[in-house]
Amino acid sequence: MVKPGKENANQSKVRPDYRHAYPVVVLVCLMVAGALTIRHYLVPKTFGDLGFYRAAAIDDAKARQPRYVGRAACAECHDDVAAIHAKDAHSSVECETCHGPGSEHIANSDVAMIRADSKESCLVCHRMLDARPGSFPQVDWQKHFQFVGVSDTNVVCIRCHSPHEPLYMDRDLHEARLHPLVHDCGECHIGRTDTSLKQPAGHPMIFQCAYCHKDLAASFAKGAHAKVGCKTCHLFIRDTSFSGRIVRNTDPRFCLLCHRKTDFRSASGTPTIDWPSHIRDVSDDPADPKRPCVNCHQEQIHEMYSKEKLHAM
Amino acid sequence: MPCNCLISRRTMIRRLAAGATGGLILWLFPPGLASGLERTGGAKRPYYAYAVDVSRCIGCCACMRACRAENDVPEGRFRTWVERYRVSASGQVQVDAATKDDFVFQESPADNIVKAFFVPKLCNHCEKSVCSQVCPVGATYTTPEGVVLVDGKRCIGCGYCVQACPYGTRFIHPVTHTADKCTFCYHRITKGQPPACVLACPKGARIYGDLNDPTSRLSTLLKQRRFRVLKPEMGTHPKCYYLDLDIEVI
Repeated sequence: MVKPGKENANQSKVRPDYRHAYPVVVLVCLMVAGALTIRHYLVPKTFGDLGFYRAAAIDDAKARQPRYVGRAACAECHDDVAAIHAKDAHSSVECETCHGPGSEHIANSDVAMIRADSKESCLVCHRMLDARPGSFPQVDWQKHFQFVGVSDTNVVCIRCHSPHEPLYMDRDLHEARLHPLVHDCGECHIGRTDTSLKQPAGHPMIFQCAYCHKDLAASFAKGAHAKVGCKTCHLFIRDTSFSGRIVRNTDPRFCLLCHRKTDFRSASGTPTIDWPSHIRDVSDDPADPKRPCVNCHQEQIHEMYSKEKLHAM
Repeated sequence: MPCNCLISRRTMIRRLAAGATGGLILWLFPPGLASGLERTGGAKRPYYAYAVDVSRCIGCCACMRACRAENDVPEGRFRTWVERYRVSASGQVQVDAATKDDFVFQESPADNIVKAFFVPKLCNHCEKSVCSQVCPVGATYTTPEGVVLVDGKRCIGCGYCVQACPYGTRFIHPVTHTADKCTFCYHRITKGQPPACVLACPKGARIYGDLNDPTSRLSTLLKQRRFRVLKPEMGTHPKCYYLDLDIEVI
């Protein structure tokens, strides 16, 4: 039996034998070298610079060129259209929403833009759908054609409505008067066709124009325009949840949307007028095509407020 | 011969092998997930987010057409789309989307609809994006501006991210066979231009902006309006805020 003290003395003299570890060390070195080599080829250069991804991918993503250029770029050449478009009801619609991306057209003017002159181009937004907000103008085009006396179903919307100034507004939209929000029934009761619900007992009526403008509404109901609503001519543009802007449109071209004599409109129904010969017939000043129709035809609409009363309101 | 080493040969080999393997794994795939979890925008850098004003959407799908034209989205796949929700008096919810024929919603007769509205959907660019967490090769990542992107050169098309996304916004591109999704039009916003869908929206229902800029329209809207996000229970912290969104929307 060896004494513990003697063994300790022996061990301090004999060096530990590490020879058996050499193959392992070599193996580990080879593995590290192999891993380095594999990593060099597998991991992209910028991988890990910003996170667990290839940082250069960000530059790849940035490098693409935009195809939609925005209305300012369109206005550089088409400033005339841009000016009238900016003031009418379609001012929130970008040129490229209807005409498609413009970058190729800018680079080469031979590349044509989409014309968007079919009926469908307008109905994409304005077809009557129950899911569309009630405050957004929508049309059942067959009923509308019937209403305005158009029998040819191939007639496209832009024969009457200019896409760039659809309402021929006589003032800039943003200059229009601020007004508290006025609701139509359909804005809350979407898709309701049950007529018994039209006048429910106890329902607040503050959501209609007539609640404040009683006298105007009464005279309007007697006139020839009773079948169109207030907001047909007094266009209401919603600003916020509480207010909007109201436009009293007196541009003669706005009246002519319904009353212009055309080859596709039947003579029966809505009275139509030859334009601009009519204004030449009645006006002393032949250079007065912007004379508002209401100057002469106000009794056919409703009793008009005097300027004094308007200012007092 | 009795072993006079400090540890046995077997233990040494075992420990060396374990250390080498662990080191190799850490070296090849450094733990970088934290980059996706931090709000990396900083004070000077923009931190982009998106808002959808549901009450303004008219369902014209101009956004879908613009996205397609700007980004060459393949047919039958969508980086953004518009859903139509219709709720009947009995509380039944019908959902459909215009995915064919130039994306035009048609009126389809349905009885007793009491509530109906459109909801545009797109990648939510989540702060804690699951898609980038499951990606095995680091092909999906979050840029310092908070935009979640796919590195097409790195993606192996395994489709984990497509399955992981709770919002169904990803797809495998039929030509490149890599994952594809909304890039927030990164090539546009980094040049100061709005994403194509935001530009094309005629009603301003789509809003994008910088959360780090308190004066941006997005920041203002989020202060003034009521909003919610989709599937908050998933813990993804989506950055697509829906204003005036109804409870029916999932």
